[in-house]
Amino acid sequence: MLRGGVTLSSACFAVGVVLALAGSGPLADRLLQVGIVVLLATPVARVVVSVVEYAQQRDWTFTVLTLIVFVELMAGVLVALR
Amino acid sequence: MPVATPALALIIFVAGVLSGVLGAVLGLGGGIFLVPFLNLVLKFPLTAAAAISLTTVIATSSSVSAGRAGKQLINMRLGMLLEVATAAGSVLGGLTALVLRQSVLQRTFGVVAAAVAVIMLTRLQRRNVILDPDADPGVLGGRYYEQESQAMVSYRVRRLPLAITASFLAGNISSLLGIGGGIIKVPVLNAWCGVPLRAAAATSAFMIGVTATAGAMIYYGHGQLVPSLAAAAVLGVQLGSWGGMRIAQHAPASWLKLMMAAVLTIVSIMMFMRGS
Repeated sequence: MLRGGVTLSSACFAVGVVLALAGSGPLADRLLQVGIVVLLATPVARVVVSVVEYAQQRDWTFTVLTLIVFVELMAGVLVALR
Repeated sequence: MPVATPALALIIFVAGVLSGVLGAVLGLGGGIFLVPFLNLVLKFPLTAAAAISLTTVIATSSSVSAGRAGKQLINMRLGMLLEVATAAGSVLGGLTALVLRQSVLQRTFGVVAAAVAVIMLTRLQRRNVILDPDADPGVLGGRYYEQESQAMVSYRVRRLPLAITASFLAGNISSLLGIGGGIIKVPVLNAWCGVPLRAAAATSAFMIGVTATAGAMIYYGHGQLVPSLAAAAVLGVQLGSWGGMRIAQHAPASWLKLMMAAVLTIVSIMMFMRGS
């Protein structure tokens, strides 16, 4: 969705602005981290949107399938934080 | 782990641009070039290289999928179904990558790069298009407007188990090596599963973003991702793809494919040697 593209741009922008700013310092690091997190969250958000869309269409098979993908991504988060 | 310096960020930015251009012109993700560059030239551990490359895959996937042209071609249902397998493969691949020795990862990369080179050279292209717009695509098939025939066309998906298996493997490889995985999915979907090339490419472009997220998260959580360098790479690849799209229209495809197959063969040999 266009949403995905826009969110992505803000991630890159946040990241880019900081790089332009001297490239060091705690604020810079913080912004970069935020940029990364937003970037990683973008496809996850897209999956969530799909779950909602399929549910609205009452397409339960695909609601469940998309939900499974979401759960797998959350498993990834768990593994990442272990 | 590499230490981020402005000079290094700049080098990676440029590398990103080049990967982006090559990726856009050849219809691949840049990962297959970026990872060897980071690993062999800049001496990054393969996991760190993969981490950075995966973030560029997410970026590219998200921008490509948001584009107007892609939207009607992307087969969301098929993509999501296959993503169940791909994401699982990706999480497993990420876990595995953290415990495997670098030399094993490098040799795997060598093998995959060689396979990609072969696929590029022998790419069987099937049209797979049903010209009757009233034909039933089935639950997983698709319908879109095709430029060549100036009409709505449809297609049906065949051999779903094969597509699912290939997707799982693609997810595995994506996380292990830091590439998108599209180079495995697209040929399988097109040659054996009944999907027209453009639809396969668009669907794959959407899927790899989700897949790469799983891998990237795992690497990030385990300290393999250097944010400033990833940022430089992402910006570079964005710029490169944008430029590459423009060049792509004027470039003769077959000559480029040969060149790329040659480059990939060299990459494959180098990675294999380094890992031995």
